Amino acid sequence: MATETQSQPADWPGRYFHIDQVLNTPGPRTDESFLAGDGVKDFLRNKSKILVIGAGGLGCEILANLALTGFKDIHVIDMDTIDISNLNRQFLFRPKDVGKSKAIVAAEFIMKRVPGVKVTPYFGKIQDKDDAYYMQFNLVICGLDSVEARRWMNATLVNLVDPEEPESLKPLIDGGTEGFKGQARVILPTITSCYECSLDMLNKQTAFPICTIANTPRLPEHCIEWASVLEWPRVRGDLKLDTDDPEHIGWLYKIALARANEFKIEGVTWSLTQGVVKNIIPAIASTNAVIAAACCNEAFKIATSSAAYLNNYFMLIGTDGVYSYTFEHEKRDDCPVCGGEALEMTLKPTTTVEELIDILVEKQDIQIKKPSLSTPTKQIYFQAPPQLEEATRPNLEKKVSDLVPPGGEVTVTATTLPFSLSLRISYSE
Amino acid sequence: MSQEAQDIQDSTTAIVAESAPDAKTRRYDRQLRLWAASGQSALESSRVLVIAGTATSTSVLKNLVLPGIGHFTILDPLEVTPEDAGNNFFLEGPSSIGKSRAEEAVRLLCELNDGVDGKADKRSLEEVLENDKEWLSDFTIVIAHNLDPKLLQRLSEYLWSDTTFPPLVVVRSAGFLAEFYIQYHEHSVIESHSETTPSLRIDKAFPALLDYATTLDFENMDVTDHGHIPYVVILVRVLEDWKKAHNGLPPQTYAEKKEFKQGIMAMRKKSDEENFEEAEAQAYRSWTATTVPSEISELFDDPKVKSVTPSSPPFYHLVNALAKFVQEQPSHTLPLSSTLPDMKASTSAYIHLQTLYKRRAEEEKAAFKSYLQVPIAEDMVDAFVKNSHALKLLRGKQWGAVDKDGAALVKGGEVAPKELSVHLALSALSSVIDKSQPGAPLTPTVEALTEEAQALLPGGASLPDDFDNAVGEVARAPTADLPNVAALLGGLVAQEVIKMITKQYIPIHGYCTIDLVDAWTGTLKLSDLKP
Ligand SMILES: [Zn+2]
Repeated sequence: MATETQSQPADWPGRYFHIDQVLNTPGPRTDESFLAGDGVKDFLRNKSKILVIGAGGLGCEILANLALTGFKDIHVIDMDTIDISNLNRQFLFRPKDVGKSKAIVAAEFIMKRVPGVKVTPYFGKIQDKDDAYYMQFNLVICGLDSVEARRWMNATLVNLVDPEEPESLKPLIDGGTEGFKGQARVILPTITSCYECSLDMLNKQTAFPICTIANTPRLPEHCIEWASVLEWPRVRGDLKLDTDDPEHIGWLYKIALARANEFKIEGVTWSLTQGVVKNIIPAIASTNAVIAAACCNEAFKIATSSAAYLNNYFMLIGTDGVYSYTFEHEKRDDCPVCGGEALEMTLKPTTTVEELIDILVEKQDIQIKKPSLSTPTKQIYFQAPPQLEEATRPNLEKKVSDLVPPGGEVTVTATTLPFSLSLRISYSE
Repeated sequence: MSQEAQDIQDSTTAIVAESAPDAKTRRYDRQLRLWAASGQSALESSRVLVIAGTATSTSVLKNLVLPGIGHFTILDPLEVTPEDAGNNFFLEGPSSIGKSRAEEAVRLLCELNDGVDGKADKRSLEEVLENDKEWLSDFTIVIAHNLDPKLLQRLSEYLWSDTTFPPLVVVRSAGFLAEFYIQYHEHSVIESHSETTPSLRIDKAFPALLDYATTLDFENMDVTDHGHIPYVVILVRVLEDWKKAHNGLPPQTYAEKKEFKQGIMAMRKKSDEENFEEAEAQAYRSWTATTVPSEISELFDDPKVKSVTPSSPPFYHLVNALAKFVQEQPSHTLPLSSTLPDMKASTSAYIHLQTLYKRRAEEEKAAFKSYLQVPIAEDMVDAFVKNSHALKLLRGKQWGAVDKDGAALVKGGEVAPKELSVHLALSALSSVIDKSQPGAPLTPTVEALTEEAQALLPGGASLPDDFDNAVGEVARAPTADLPNVAALLGGLVAQEVIKMITKQYIPIHGYCTIDLVDAWTGTLKLSDLKP
């Protein structure tokens, strides 16, 4: 990365002609605290520091927009490398970049194209960074396709808030797209609804029952799941399925196709096989452009106070005309991240610990994959480390009511989540 | 690879399988899942003209070049100014200043996709309209951003003058506000990708389905098989039995519907038969009459459908044949869809049912085709029959026609006051530009803009309450092409252009208005702009 040493050309006269029109003058809805003119420009261009999470479909757009609006100290994190299927929308990448780090290539491109902007890439995981790292930014924009990464980032920023220190509250702007649909939202950690508050708005993934896959396939998807979930481990042994390896996809495709032919099921194709095993979400440049622009516009308004920012959720559906809906998503008092109150849960007196775990895994507003459970005084069940798992395993068959008194609290943790969830248990009858 | 894996591979290679996708299919994979090969091929044969290489224009083009349109031309006689170099990502900062704006933008846009052909045309629109206007008709669609009002008027008049000329997308923006409009005579959509599913026609079961359902021996069936009868078959059977006992009528009252559902549940051999639970949940399909949706039957009465001639567009012939099919076929419904949703069933029962539906759908398609008066490509007929419940025909108006009709604007404002406010504020800005000297600095006051907006409404009509918010933003930044607004417009306009070119999904029908202070988009619908 030789870019650090590049001399930074001075701004040229006229460079900010467009932007300055809204920075020199307030509009009818601009807050009185807006300091039109040099003060706000100095903050935006010389003092603010912004973090972009993700340098993919949304990230490429976000970086370009931020650079053009005058943010000059931008950091970007992405753990992915560039794939050929990114090139239909991730416009900072070229065929020669396939295989390289998204964060590094994107940062270099922006610095080359927009003079005087410094973009610092990090090719790695958001979890590699500590609180002190996140504390240095004024704003964070997330353009991710992973629910888990967003939950982590959201919880980290909520935990960062120290009521005594206003600077510790970092606005989080989150964008997401799926085909012609998308959303952009502004989260003020601890003040407004957070990412975790709205988990139940996510579409539930279609899961096919294993007995259908094994015994009564009807759809091409059932045959593909049979190939990937049952046949792959059975035949290929310990070899890990790499959904980016064409040999692996080709194998699954042929196995699925053979099964489909046996049962006279139509519609198994290479593309469907890949779509099912990789859980591919359609993605296009235009939707990413809209959502990224909406996110960056909020970042600009928050950084400059030139106009009120979004309160707090913008949703777009572009299939039938242009439909969008802007509304305030409500904070949840029992949100495990920002709510403070325990989640009420009523169980049957006969419910076992194992059944409680199944309920938690299924629950749309929690979505925990491998929960570990404890009470203030004892360990109920731990998924790891192995010794602890073994020691607590006998509890799986026990009734929860034998371990937790009515009104008692259960703490739920998972390695993937940087927070714990409190349940207040009561029993029916 | 283990021996067993190798064996499986060898034994399955006999089946004709596709080979791994080529580089192009891999590149476009994420969009092919939305508009398929047919949409992609429409994009690849399209030719897009963009007038003026502004930041908004290049943002639109970026989102069209990436998915792979065939060709684009930027028409722009101007040189890059320092102001352009500051807000346009498809210019290279100060090093582009003084060069041709069209050439610089085309060069940098073409880097995004080497399958796309781009051309810079340094003529002015005035010159084209004066000496070479036929050239304009050579494009699939024309996009114009913040064009001089007089030139825009001439351009829209010319493109409106012949129904075969390309649609015109008019884009206007100032500061945080923007709008766009697509001028087209007509736009028909077969593949609307509607989320409503076609009827399974349980209330009007076709003979083979009825026969299958009524002769199946439910009582003496093996318990496992009984738990795997598809709910469609259960419902057809129960409904038929019900009608026999009720003068040929389906359940009518709430009490009867309840009784009908209880009858379904009473047929269970075991308490956990999910297929019967599905049948109970789907029971409404038995008494919901399969009819032709009103939006489709309205098409049947369209004068252009009724009076088709051999030269009419295929869409009209298809709708004409559909009208006859509905009228003359005994079920008086749309052709049956062969798409069956998944349901609890054994593989053989499901596949058997699916085969019955497919066979019947083929028969009805053949009947449908017999009504066609001209030959039409097989894949178009297939798509039409498959989507006949969700067809769309949009009829448009010339750009600016609504602004000449004050009463229509007032009416539209009653439904959508915020949207009308943005439209009026931007129209007022156009009026001010129209009256000012070319090249003079543009700094209109709120008062001057309000006066122009008021002049668009009939005497006595007042501006919407939200107008002050809109006009204040226009006065604040009358010539600002803000990067975020340009990027957002770039996304929305490209999305609508893709819909126009592919004839898939439904494009806007009116003015799409955008206010990025309060972060909303809205539509001033043509159907609401009627006095
Ligand atoms: Zn929360």
